[in-house]
Amino acid sequence: MNFEYSENEEKFRTEVRDWLKETLPDYLSEKVRKYQRLTKEDYELFMNNLSKKGWIAWHWPEEYGGTGWNAIEKHIFEEEIVKASAPRIVPFGVNMLGPVLIEFGSEEQKNYYLPRILNNEDWWAQGYSEPGAGSDLASLKTTAIDKGDYYLVNGQKTWTTLGHHADKIFCLVKTDLNVKPQLGISFLLIDMDSQGVEVKPIITLDGEHEVNEVWFTDVKVPKKNLVGKENEGWTYAKYLLTFERTGIAGVPNSKSALNHLKMVSRKSMKNGKPLIEDPLFSSEVAELEIDLLAMEIFNLRTVSAAAEGKAPGMESSLLKIKGTLVRQKTTELLRKALGPQALPYLPEQFDEGWNEMPIGPEYAGSIAKQYFNMRKISIYGGSNEIQKNIVAKASFGL
Amino acid sequence: MDFSLSEERKMLQETVARFFESCYNDIKKRSEYLNMNHGFSREFWKESSNLGVISGLISPSFGGLGGSGEDISIIFELIGKSLCIEPFLSSGLLSSTILSSIKNPKTELINQIIDGELLVSFAHMEMNNRYEDHFVESKAFFENENWKLNGSKSFVINGDSADKVIISARIKGKINDKNGIGLFLVDNNQINNRSYNTIDGYRAAELNFDNINAELLCEDDLALECIIKANSAGALALSAEAVGIMQVCFDLTLDYLKTRKQFGKSIGSFQSIQHRMVDMMLEIEQVRSAVMLASSTFETNSSTRDKNISAAKNLVGRVGKLIAEESIQLHGGIAMTWEYSVAHYAKRLIMIDHLMGDADYHRDRFKLLSSN
Repeated sequence: MNFEYSENEEKFRTEVRDWLKETLPDYLSEKVRKYQRLTKEDYELFMNNLSKKGWIAWHWPEEYGGTGWNAIEKHIFEEEIVKASAPRIVPFGVNMLGPVLIEFGSEEQKNYYLPRILNNEDWWAQGYSEPGAGSDLASLKTTAIDKGDYYLVNGQKTWTTLGHHADKIFCLVKTDLNVKPQLGISFLLIDMDSQGVEVKPIITLDGEHEVNEVWFTDVKVPKKNLVGKENEGWTYAKYLLTFERTGIAGVPNSKSALNHLKMVSRKSMKNGKPLIEDPLFSSEVAELEIDLLAMEIFNLRTVSAAAEGKAPGMESSLLKIKGTLVRQKTTELLRKALGPQALPYLPEQFDEGWNEMPIGPEYAGSIAKQYFNMRKISIYGGSNEIQKNIVAKASFGL
Repeated sequence: MDFSLSEERKMLQETVARFFESCYNDIKKRSEYLNMNHGFSREFWKESSNLGVISGLISPSFGGLGGSGEDISIIFELIGKSLCIEPFLSSGLLSSTILSSIKNPKTELINQIIDGELLVSFAHMEMNNRYEDHFVESKAFFENENWKLNGSKSFVINGDSADKVIISARIKGKINDKNGIGLFLVDNNQINNRSYNTIDGYRAAELNFDNINAELLCEDDLALECIIKANSAGALALSAEAVGIMQVCFDLTLDYLKTRKQFGKSIGSFQSIQHRMVDMMLEIEQVRSAVMLASSTFETNSSTRDKNISAAKNLVGRVGKLIAEESIQLHGGIAMTWEYSVAHYAKRLIMIDHLMGDADYHRDRFKLLSSN
């Protein structure tokens, strides 16, 4: 065992850092740092840069355009893009659909879609959850009826993140209504501009529009858009979910939030002294840091053990649970550190180009909002309760 | 001991409950009220006055009909249940507490508050004084037979719509001296104020003032006593409000667990979920009990009053987080939406911990008061 970064790994870190410094515009990292609303172009700018550099599909097998990085290099890369305040990589195409197509797609699909993902030509959305199918995803109701050379799709998907920007959506649909739910599901690729597709915004508790409902009314989908075999979509769906989960652990995000927390608690005052000098508060910060320290190693152990281009198995559920709790805890302590400064909420502060005086310190405005927003991470990607079911079922033999 | 409410108080409870429910029957109403000129419904406020809700917060010695710890708790629990955003805390309780606790009580102003005509906000917090009673940086000085104030106040609830503002300012000494503070009454039209909505859907303002004229209400020991009393009354009121909110969160969650079906049955039928509901239920009863105790000793004007209020507010902070987070988690995605009411209750419940002292502040204060 050796927990030091090697010389090569440090060199790699410098390479990533220098590249980010060179290519990421200041205005964009400033927007990310200030939690300002990002436009579609903002996301695309960063992803196009990654594409040009050949780094967009960093966890794909090399033969398909992956980078061939090992687990440590991937970790370094993730850490550096968070540190540089780059926009997040929109995961639906490159992190979710890509691996599924590589594993289960036809040659034709791979040849058509994978290069388009590598070049950011399509903005993908995820069509999994439905109003009646959340934790129990297999109980979904959207149907795709075989009409010869096309499927006729009817139903509704929900919580579609950034679906209002999407060109295409991968959907779980019912193709056989007469069997056990898991056995009648298929994995279908749908053009968002098909006739009968409608996107409606969902406003979340923080007043923001990030997620959507997507409605399908008599949408015709060509048969060639079926991934893998009809009625075997559940296998592909689960395969994709292990990739989704691993990202949610968000170690780099928690590390950067922890640094932010330390900065804020040095600036916040309690009894005339910096809050960080309060023994009870600083103990809470220290325990959070210990949790995170352990989780970083847990995460690296898990990712290193997984084969190239594959996601870890049951451990990804454990990481998702702990990762979301740690991230939520950082937002909770940030909120607490602010005291009454957490109260004001100026929605316009998150618009690009807002240059009025903030209320209190500049960092204060987004903290309570982030705390409430982050409640979602223990719900989405399979709620933490569902992850516990997965782990118990997979490991205990009860 | 007797834990039941008197007939009179039960009547108060029923009348106020009916009225609040009829005005706040839909969570959308609240946003409508917030978007009004004053950040709340002036009509609702006047109607509250007519029904005796405001006078229920004020002692008969000053023209009110209540003002006991029990009265305050009953009314604020109902405010919590409906998430009312009218100035019950700022004008109805905090300002009237100060105006009635000074050497020459301002009974006439209190009566105008009771009538729903006059709004007075209490401006004590400053940007960096966190929750302390005696950290005051704004300055007061006597010049040409007049008191003048300089400085700024932060997070002043309803500070934009108030006709008058009670401001704490330092007459002498350092920022954290317990002596040398004065409380002053000021016409709000002299103050430069910047108003905004809070994350939990209330209206507040930042106040800036430069050599404005002020009337001295009290100074030194009495001023500090008034600040502590107002903050304690506020902490009690917010604790009672939190009880109302927690109950609504619990009821909404239980209701959802019964109707939401996954895996072919109601999600409430899973034991792991049931156990979490039991934890919530018992913690809410703990808070309710602590708030009842704190209301019963509210009128004693002693350290027992403040110790019991700190116990209640500390529990509210800790349990509030549990209830808010669990209500969202057990609902799932639906609770993350603006449209569904539970998110608004959860936000208020969490932000109550950022007003009048958080769980840490009241734990520290409890430690001090219980070691004496």
